[in-house]
Amino acid sequence: MFNIFRLEKKFGDLEVLKNITMAIDDGEVVCIIGPSGSGKSTFLRCLNLLEIPTSGKMYYNGNILDADLDRKKLRKEVGMVFQRFNLFPMFTVLKNITYAPVRINKMKKEEAQELAMELLSKVGLADKANVYPSTLSGGQQQRVAIARALAMKPQMLLFDEPTSALDPELVGDVLKVMKQLAKDGMTMVVVTHEMGFARDVADRVVFMDKGYVVEEGKPEKIFNYPENPRTKEFLARVL
Amino acid sequence: MNGLSQLHFAKAAELLVPSLIHGFGVVVQATILGFLLATFLGMVIAIGRLSNIKVIRGFLYLFLELIRGTPLLVQLVYIYYVVPLLCDLIAALFGYKTEVQIASLTAGIVGLGINYGCYMSEVIRASILSIDAGQTEAALVLGFGKYQALFRIVMPQALRSIVPSLGNYLVMMVKDTSLLAYVAVNELLLRTQSFASQTFFTIESYTYLAIAYLVISIPLSLLVKFIEYKFDKK
Repeated sequence: MFNIFRLEKKFGDLEVLKNITMAIDDGEVVCIIGPSGSGKSTFLRCLNLLEIPTSGKMYYNGNILDADLDRKKLRKEVGMVFQRFNLFPMFTVLKNITYAPVRINKMKKEEAQELAMELLSKVGLADKANVYPSTLSGGQQQRVAIARALAMKPQMLLFDEPTSALDPELVGDVLKVMKQLAKDGMTMVVVTHEMGFARDVADRVVFMDKGYVVEEGKPEKIFNYPENPRTKEFLARVL
Repeated sequence: MNGLSQLHFAKAAELLVPSLIHGFGVVVQATILGFLLATFLGMVIAIGRLSNIKVIRGFLYLFLELIRGTPLLVQLVYIYYVVPLLCDLIAALFGYKTEVQIASLTAGIVGLGINYGCYMSEVIRASILSIDAGQTEAALVLGFGKYQALFRIVMPQALRSIVPSLGNYLVMMVKDTSLLAYVAVNELLLRTQSFASQTFFTIESYTYLAIAYLVISIPLSLLVKFIEYKFDKK
């Protein structure tokens, strides 16, 4: 689905991503782990062109991603869930979910509402359709954010530390929804500090440090037999 | 001799108030049109100053400094007296002979609009910047364009802090319409001046003038306070 060659990103003189080459297949769940400041989020944000890479090539379903590409079209197919939810505070939960499908995908309002209710039941919040986001807990807001992303019927979802802003007891509900999505075959790239989730759900774990992909592989291998000393050191600290 | 017996408030009122009522219409017209123009320009300048294009940002910054660095009265006089002459001069360079004139009320409205537009643009810009960048990103990743995100998602949230502050500018503008007297707009001050100089009811005339402004501005500022309160509560 994604093919990335020698991707680099600089902010001024600061090199955030260095020479990253990676492929992401249909239906694959990739978890990206690593210390803060390692470039994980920046890498994720390059995939939907929220950040424009400084050099390197990226292909999405065979189409090269460059300045001429229709970003709106790419983003319709590659959804994103943020650390801080970013729900629209002036809309109800239902409108948060239906707004983009109606405006962008030209879906009929009734149809979008039906879809939204279906997605809300899927994330366990069907009773919250008509409240405003500010009345919800962080975990509930994040599940609404996931439903909002799903309402665009994306081919793929990017998760940028989706549980990092949550109280510990609320993390589980969000991870449960994400696990179900993975089981349903959604292609997912997840930047996370939840090692348990990475171990259980990921098809592949990528360890990043200082802008490099240091090591990648099946979760059993990365967590049980890490090769690189930096991976070992990181895992020793977080596990 | 009792000095107070020389004051003729009742007579002055009889003669001046009808004229002030007409002037009131001019003030309302100048304020409404000036404020609409200012709001439009304020939006355009605010959005332009957030643009990625350096030339636009630089130009608007210079324009803003120019307007904020000169008095409104000077700008009004410049638009009314100087701009037509400049137009004639430029036309003459191309071999045309013109006599451009700007109607005094038009000059006044344009002057108020430009001056207030610049100050209001800063309020609008600050309010836009105060909205979390995550809101724009959330809209972008759902497939909205940059300007759709700005107008559909960010602006409605920014309006909550924009509207109350703009209300204060509205009250200020009502009072600043008195400056239009200097470009021959027949508003309250000019009417009072000519009345006072003809009748020598100086004390009476200007007292009525001051009261006339209070009659407009006090209810208006109460209304603005009410709107502020409504917006705070939300």
